[in-house]
Amino acid sequence: MSEHLPALVLLAPLFGTLVIGLFGLRDHRVCLPVTLSCLAVSLFSAIGLILRVSSGGPVDYFMGGWEEPLGIGIQLRADAINSPLLVVIAIVALLAAVFTIRPAGERDSEKTPYFYILFLLLSVGLFGITITADAFNVFVLIEVTALSSYGLVAIGSSKRCKVAAFHYLIMGTVGASFYLLGVGYLYLKLGSLNMQDIHTILASNENLADSRAIRTAFVFILVGIWTKMAFFPLHGWLPNAYSYSPSGSAAILAPLVTKVSVYVMVRMMVSVFGLDQLEANVEWGHFVVWLAVIAIVAGSMMALAQREIKKMLCCLIIAEVGYMVGGAWLGDPQRWGMTGTLYHILADALMTSCLFLAAGVFAKWLGAVKLEDLSGLFRKMPLAATGFVIGGLAIIGVPPTCGFYSKFYLIRGGIESGQWIYVAALIGSSLVNAVLFFRLFEIAYFGKNPVASHAHGHGHGDDGHDHHETPVVRREPPLHALLPVLVAAALLILLGIFNGPVVEFIRTGLIETATVVSTGR
Amino acid sequence: MKAKIFASIAVVITGAILLYAVIDFPDFGDPGSPPNAGVPGGAPAASRYYIQNTYRDSKVPNLVTAVLADYRGYDTMFETVVILTAGISIFAILRVVRRDDDPSAPEPVASDRTIDGDHHRIIVGITCRIAAPLIQIFALYVVAHGHYSPGGGFQGGVMLGASFILLALSGSLRETLARFSERDYTRLAFVGILIYAGLGLLPMWVGRNFLDYGALSGLFMTKGEEMARSHSMLGVEIGVAITVMSIMFAMFANLSTRGRLQGGL
Repeated sequence: MSEHLPALVLLAPLFGTLVIGLFGLRDHRVCLPVTLSCLAVSLFSAIGLILRVSSGGPVDYFMGGWEEPLGIGIQLRADAINSPLLVVIAIVALLAAVFTIRPAGERDSEKTPYFYILFLLLSVGLFGITITADAFNVFVLIEVTALSSYGLVAIGSSKRCKVAAFHYLIMGTVGASFYLLGVGYLYLKLGSLNMQDIHTILASNENLADSRAIRTAFVFILVGIWTKMAFFPLHGWLPNAYSYSPSGSAAILAPLVTKVSVYVMVRMMVSVFGLDQLEANVEWGHFVVWLAVIAIVAGSMMALAQREIKKMLCCLIIAEVGYMVGGAWLGDPQRWGMTGTLYHILADALMTSCLFLAAGVFAKWLGAVKLEDLSGLFRKMPLAATGFVIGGLAIIGVPPTCGFYSKFYLIRGGIESGQWIYVAALIGSSLVNAVLFFRLFEIAYFGKNPVASHAHGHGHGDDGHDHHETPVVRREPPLHALLPVLVAAALLILLGIFNGPVVEFIRTGLIETATVVSTGR
Repeated sequence: MKAKIFASIAVVITGAILLYAVIDFPDFGDPGSPPNAGVPGGAPAASRYYIQNTYRDSKVPNLVTAVLADYRGYDTMFETVVILTAGISIFAILRVVRRDDDPSAPEPVASDRTIDGDHHRIIVGITCRIAAPLIQIFALYVVAHGHYSPGGGFQGGVMLGASFILLALSGSLRETLARFSERDYTRLAFVGILIYAGLGLLPMWVGRNFLDYGALSGLFMTKGEEMARSHSMLGVEIGVAITVMSIMFAMFANLSTRGRLQGGL
């Protein structure tokens, strides 16, 4: 069975979807166990893939057995770049699924099976994008991901989330179309959709790689992916879509969708167009790094201006996307920037997961939407607050959390490539994050009694009547909501402590993929 | 107004970039162009392989079907999943479940009977009622002949769905729903994917890759792997058709009644 692991990763949630669709619509109790067990199968398959990759190099899987000649069928390929991301996707999806154990108050219970169907379809899409080695297949799975995200955003009962989903739909469709146009241009010039094949052709043929159509294709693919990842000028859809969607949806959408898009960009750079090719055109890299700097600054500034917790986190995502895009384009000879980006994809997925889960807990059990609503948090929910603090420290970049190490690698890349403006933006943004989170911690620790602000108005929570009781009551959320936050926080520290092996693993894969051009034929 | 100027500038720039690259394209219909002949240094062109070997591999005369249902069947499976996802998203957003939703509830006012007076309805209704089964039979032909001639699951499925939509438009949605109920179409939408993915999963029992239909020669009792591929393609097309048909009709029913599945047009 182990040779089927690449397919199993995404087939498990796909079949889970079918089981829920056929049985779960009648009996809602089927949904959750099926979701959890499918994601667990995916997690184990992904871990199995990491083990196989670390012992024997990249694992190829040819759909339908169409192996020779390369490019007639569809190839899946798990290597050191994407197998850690597969594990992180599975973990974050599992945590979000555990978090949704009791349907959120804002969700119509009749829609529970639809929620889980869309949830699993989203995981299928994310796994598929990550593991595929076919440029067109990426587009198909981007569609699966995008459509299920629109559904997950709009499934909430408020009107605002429908508007946000519509905005997201328009922007997402534009992004996907740009990507598709780019792939079409590539196919027209190269006659192949297989990433490995395209890479070989472009590396061996200078004229072709420099031709207008290929450059245009690259620009279109990049702009399409940037729209999908909410890179600064194209970020308009993100804050509303993620902050107005139900907490269960936001817990899987916010950490994963943008990060997987960043991965697609890196994949396109590393194993489609080739890093050597990009390093030959340094001025492009400088230009994109400037864009990234603008994104970082803009994201941080917007985050400072926000009054709502989730909105603030969304703006931080925009800044983090800036880190990753900038890091990928630094173009330093040792490729520390790219390494930092790949490590930061994993770290940021977990950080965002931790923070959004915590924000979901606060919204659901404290009715906390605005920053001030968190006052007295440490007395009410010490454990959940601890998880939130660890997530915040990771975003700021305090050791030993993984946020410190990813920033370390990114800054190292920035220094080695001489992109001082990027280094400055990164450090400045960390300071802004520190300001943001310490302001939050201050409110949460020293803030006034929450009852005072809550007794009148603010009917956010399901259990608003509880606020009239004695002010300082320790009221942890139920275990199923608390556990994901704490697990995510623990993983942040673990990923930080074990950053050495993880980075080593990623780097070997990165350098292998970037240098080995014509093998595998 | 400002937004319009902004949008026009963006459109002009995008168009200019697209046109800038067009000069670089191979000639239209050039047999030596990269998609047809491949590029020196790369793998041989996939299209040339398809043209030369499809009949040998799967005994399917229609290359297009072989490419989409066999060589790149994985993509097609997910295209079908995209349709399913769209349908599920629409249910999730629109569908309103009320207690008074059961069919025995009294007909709401301003229901099916007032579109344009009854006398038009008779001619249109009867014509459409006669046409619907013919459309369906033709649709089945399109599905079943997908691997011999132009056609296939998506086209056939759309026609099947359209026949139900036609019935609902010309007669009443309520009567159509009585024949093709919500429970049926939601189930069938998943059954279609299950047929596709299940046919793909079966080869994994005997240790072959996902969607490697050649391994199903025992199941279909065919002589060689080629015929097994051909039969599986038919099965896969049927799965696609079932999903597309159900989702088409489901989208119509939900959109036209704002998710209440009552009254409607």
